[in-house]
Amino acid sequence: MSEPLIRTVHMGKRYALPAGDLQALADVSVAIGEAEFIAIMGPSGSGKSTFMNVLGCLDVPSEGEYFLRGQSVRSMDVDQRAHLRNTLIGFVFQSYNLLPRLSAVENIGLPLVYAGVGVRERDRRSRELLAQVGLDRYAGFLPPQLSGGQQQRVAIARSLVNDATLLLADEPTGNLDSHSSDEILAIFERLNRERRLTIVLVTHEPDVAAHARRLIRFHDGRIVSDTPVDRAATIQRTVVA
Amino acid sequence: MIYSELLRESWRAMRTNRMRTALTMLGMLIGVAAVVAMLAVGNGARASVNAVISSLGSNMLMVISGARTSGGLHVSSGSTPTLHLTDADAIRGLPGVAAVAPSSPQAAQVVYGANNWSTSVLGTSPDYLQIRDWPLARGSNFSPSDMRGAARVAILGQTVAQNLFGGADPVGHTIRIARSPYQVIGLLAAKGQSFGGQDQDDTVLIPITTAQRKLFGAQFGDTVRVIMVQAQGPELLAPVQDEVDALLTQRHHIAAGQDPDFNVRNLTEFANAAASTTRTMSLLLGLIASISLIVGGIGIMNIMLVSVTERTREVGLRMAVGARPADILQQFLMEAVLVSFAGCLAGLLLGIASVLVVNRLFTMHGLVTAGSVLIAVLVSVTVGTFFGFYPARKASRLEPIEALRYQ
Ligand SMILES: Nc1ncnc2c1ncn2[C@@H]1O[C@H](COP(=O)(O)OP(=O)(O)O)[C@@H](O)[C@H]1O
Ligand SMILES: [Mg+2]
Repeated sequence: MSEPLIRTVHMGKRYALPAGDLQALADVSVAIGEAEFIAIMGPSGSGKSTFMNVLGCLDVPSEGEYFLRGQSVRSMDVDQRAHLRNTLIGFVFQSYNLLPRLSAVENIGLPLVYAGVGVRERDRRSRELLAQVGLDRYAGFLPPQLSGGQQQRVAIARSLVNDATLLLADEPTGNLDSHSSDEILAIFERLNRERRLTIVLVTHEPDVAAHARRLIRFHDGRIVSDTPVDRAATIQRTVVA
Repeated sequence: MIYSELLRESWRAMRTNRMRTALTMLGMLIGVAAVVAMLAVGNGARASVNAVISSLGSNMLMVISGARTSGGLHVSSGSTPTLHLTDADAIRGLPGVAAVAPSSPQAAQVVYGANNWSTSVLGTSPDYLQIRDWPLARGSNFSPSDMRGAARVAILGQTVAQNLFGGADPVGHTIRIARSPYQVIGLLAAKGQSFGGQDQDDTVLIPITTAQRKLFGAQFGDTVRVIMVQAQGPELLAPVQDEVDALLTQRHHIAAGQDPDFNVRNLTEFANAAASTTRTMSLLLGLIASISLIVGGIGIMNIMLVSVTERTREVGLRMAVGARPADILQQFLMEAVLVSFAGCLAGLLLGIASVLVVNRLFTMHGLVTAGSVLIAVLVSVTVGTFFGFYPARKASRLEPIEALRYQ
């Protein structure tokens, strides 16, 4: 059996607070393969974002193990984790996190700066991705000049510019209206299908989760259910409601 | 991260906060301008001291007639001198002596046609020009027969020639010194100001014998006020000084414990002391100005700390997309160095401009040298790096998720 893209073994994350330790994640053992599309749900404070941050190598687990492509992330140093974030992982945040001083194209090219790619090649690849998210006409726009949906599409383009294998999206549609939200989800579905991109997506909305093919529920830092998404059932439920 | 990328990022950040960048630069600008100006003042003083030293003549001793006074080099003109021409001849015979010029000054009126000018007439010997390292612009030095025969011949300083002859060549013309006619046989090259700020070109040289017999009063006999002695090398100055002292003590029958009626001084030593004093002074001025550079550096650190705090989220995002701590460190460091370097360039311009203006207005001789420019540039880059390092390191040590959560 080959090693999955992601494998966690009794993984936990504890924060030391003045009032005592806070167990944000506990005993998380999960495997995620290539080209999966996973939705993460759970009440606020249940550890979804913490889970995503650890998967994205922005944070390290305090217990257990996390293997990314078979390598233990806990035993890596900061530069190695930075390299993984740069080449393997794409992050999409609820609040877009674009740099307001940089144009759309420059924002998309930011990961390439740290990959040592020259300005011309960067511009070429960024424009290509901008076209893929349907914003070719907005290359020179600054983030404040774009709508929320457009900004999030720029952020998605940025997360993919380095040919990431793993896309982590923490409530990417949380700030968007339903129309923009649908556009973003359509892009995700296409990327998952065409690029075989592994997508992990946190959401509060069942409609959004219905686009995924596997649903993991968190509660108090633990995984409480891990099931395939029954497309027919969810679609029916929305129709009824 | 590539350097062109670092420069681009820094430039962008500087442009975004123009006012802040300008104010931060101002601190460096003032510091650098102060350093340049202070070093210019110091260098100027040193250059003029050096010029005076070389105009004094090299390896020179002065034997002054009369008892040692606390007044320094002042040659009293009241009493009858105690040195004689024969003393000078005796000194000339000592080992290590290159040249000897017995000299006596006298204020006198010189006249040519309708022009007259009061100046200092110096009775001296042909060696004088060699000792003072003072070339002739025209004409010739006194000949041995001029000296023996107490000829009425004169060599003019530039200022005297200018006042009597305008631009014309004075050599061959006859002037009057204290109503007697003298033939001008030479014109000295320009020499400039002395230590005390006196115009050294305001002088007329005549043979010492002529001065003694025809210009000064009969009571002076064959006495001279000063005997200038040149040693054959700098290492011989001290031994020659001792020899001259011993010789004259013997010749003047000075008993042990008795005050001598002459006084031997080493002028080169004196000049070197003055030079090292100005060197110390210019160093001190530069040091004081450097303090303002440090204040400028603290301003940079202050602003960089604010900037790091403001851009915490940006740092988090950059780390999230793959920036290593070293990349973040370099980015903020580059920004600090760039701001201080830009401030430094502006400060150089201001400093040089103010030195030029002050030189013009106050006829000072402030001197901006390549060395002082180099010092200013090096110091400002060092200051930028030093004071930029702490904020940059602080940024590079941020935790990506903490930084991203920062509001
Ligand atoms: N950096 C942190 N320091 C301290 N506590 C934290 C930190 N990040 C998250 N937490 C806590 O961990 C728990 C899980 O948070 P989070 O993963 O953000 O939940 P979710 O995304 O599911 O709403 C919360 O109680 C939160 O307050
Ligand atoms: Mg969350």
